[in-house]
Amino acid sequence: MQEGKKRNVLTVIVLLIVLIGGAWFFAGNLKTSVTGPVRIGVIHPFTGDAAVYGEPMLRVLNLAAEKINAEGGIDGYPIEFVVEDGKCDGTAAANAAQKLVNIDKVEVIIGGFCSGEALAAEPITTAAGVALFSSSASNPKLSGISPLFVRNYPSDSSQGVVLADAAIANGMRKIAVLQEQTDYAAGIYEVFDAQIQENGGTTHKEEYTTDSYDFRTSIAKLQAERPDGLFVIANSPVSAERIFKQLKEMGWESSLLVSDVIAGDPTLVATHADLLEGAYAAEFGVDDNNPKFREVIDAYSAKYMTEPPFQAYVQTGYDAVFLIAEAIKEVGYDGEKIAAWLRDVESWQGASGTLTINSNGDPEVGHRLEVIKSGKIEVVGE
Amino acid sequence: MDIAAQLTVNSLIAGSLYALVAMSFNLIFGATRFFNLAHGALATVGAYGTFYVGVVLGLPLSVAVAGGVLTAALAGYALERLVFRPLRARKASNLVLLIASLGILIAVEAILAIFFTSQFKTLSVLTGAAQTIHIGSAVITHVQLTMFASAVLVCGTLWLVLSKTSFGRAIRAVSDDAEVAKIVGINTNVIIAALFVIGSAIVGLSGVLYGLDTGIEPRLGFMLLLKGVIAAIVGGIGNVYGGFLGAFLVGFAENFGIWFISGEWKEAIAFGLLVLFLVFRPQGILGKKHT
Repeated sequence: MQEGKKRNVLTVIVLLIVLIGGAWFFAGNLKTSVTGPVRIGVIHPFTGDAAVYGEPMLRVLNLAAEKINAEGGIDGYPIEFVVEDGKCDGTAAANAAQKLVNIDKVEVIIGGFCSGEALAAEPITTAAGVALFSSSASNPKLSGISPLFVRNYPSDSSQGVVLADAAIANGMRKIAVLQEQTDYAAGIYEVFDAQIQENGGTTHKEEYTTDSYDFRTSIAKLQAERPDGLFVIANSPVSAERIFKQLKEMGWESSLLVSDVIAGDPTLVATHADLLEGAYAAEFGVDDNNPKFREVIDAYSAKYMTEPPFQAYVQTGYDAVFLIAEAIKEVGYDGEKIAAWLRDVESWQGASGTLTINSNGDPEVGHRLEVIKSGKIEVVGE
Repeated sequence: MDIAAQLTVNSLIAGSLYALVAMSFNLIFGATRFFNLAHGALATVGAYGTFYVGVVLGLPLSVAVAGGVLTAALAGYALERLVFRPLRARKASNLVLLIASLGILIAVEAILAIFFTSQFKTLSVLTGAAQTIHIGSAVITHVQLTMFASAVLVCGTLWLVLSKTSFGRAIRAVSDDAEVAKIVGINTNVIIAALFVIGSAIVGLSGVLYGLDTGIEPRLGFMLLLKGVIAAIVGGIGNVYGGFLGAFLVGFAENFGIWFISGEWKEAIAFGLLVLFLVFRPQGILGKKHT
């Protein structure tokens, strides 16, 4: 009798453990259902030199959200963006991330647009369990930085290598570098310099602050080195515009290499066609024949009466909203689960082509070599 | 060394721009004795005035430059009448005037950003492709040469006006002691208003030339003001000719300094020079020791 009672008590305890434990385990895997408008934070630059990106990219995000909302949103609820100005600056981006995480309580943020913004926002979003998705930050340091960080724009480790290889292949051994003091530009330089040195070349670098407007003495110094080429790593077309003007005035002669933000601005390239003739760039290219890419370009052109600039970023920005919407539909409004879903994306078809995210949270794509001819970008080898 | 010639030219270009800001800053400071940060905003107003007249309205370069300078002069007069004179009449301290001028600087930047966006714009439509002149191995453009000529001309004209005319004597009287000047029958308010118009026109010209040389954005005035004020203090605060000398000293120190170190340290050199002067010669190159 006593034995039987004991066994019954034990059975009840085991059952309870299984039930409670199971419920707890399954509850953890249940999706946090969406019960109202889906708020997505955005950290992009809207003031300062990089403001040239902020406005058009927000338009792209809005186009994507409008399309998703028109098709029923997420479980019937619309997407709403909470937009903050990261100023392409670490401090401003960190403040923006704090506000989005603590006050707006968003679970997912698109940004930072600039690498400096993403690097500063990441520790804050990771600590809060919020997913951070950048569609443009390309600094190599962001690779594998956190399980909660994902990007669909390739790391500049490929940009630096592609350009260094092109320089070496074209007989450049001594390369002058004019680099803006930002995380994005520094990331490209580090990879580029390492690859050049590995191939027996040297680089001579002059850095400048984002506020600089007078580059003449830096140019004169680099000119005196008599380099085989000059690599201009600007973070925005603003300083590039000034540098090109002053290079032209000072009669710069050797060949140029330019960073992808320069190649991504068709007006800038066309304005300085003569100086940039034969210049190399490495961009994450766009595919004009991709119907989803056409969709965003056409929608933008129809609504804003002009083609969007920086189309390599347009495609990834547009995809970012669709990816996040899909993630929330699948796993609910929960930062950690959204990030986990995003890092698992495989062969996803979007405006930027076929996307697979690797274990570092980076897309499995790279930069392609381009050359500027008569003010237009041409893909090398096509 | 052919690089030395180019660095000399670069220093003169930078110095000319700082000189226009520093001389006009000191001109107004001499009479008002407060740190007018709104002075930088007027450079921006001048640059955008030229942009509006030349690019938006499509009028020729000379009209656009005159339009920019005139806009800055009018804006300077408006600030004096609407903000600074009422504050002076209320016996506001220099600190209050400084804070008011900081507010104006930020507000003007914001207003310009609202009307013209905060995006960078070039004025190259007005000047066409840059025409260059070779001086030995050094290169200078027409706009930059105009900057240098303007700085020298403005300095010469100010010297003539200040030392040879009765208006100049009145300015110097107000700068020496506004109270005594008032007692001997000088209308200090009229003199100060005139100084605001002249100073604002000069700083407006610096903004216009800067814009023609490198393009415009709402923050340009602040960037110019920083260097201009350093030049003004180094040269001797309140002393017009001191501002001229200080500007070229800053220009040469910056450009020859970064011959040896990387260009990113340019600002550090200018501010380093400022600290050296504040510690070892606080009255500046030409300033009088104040008791």
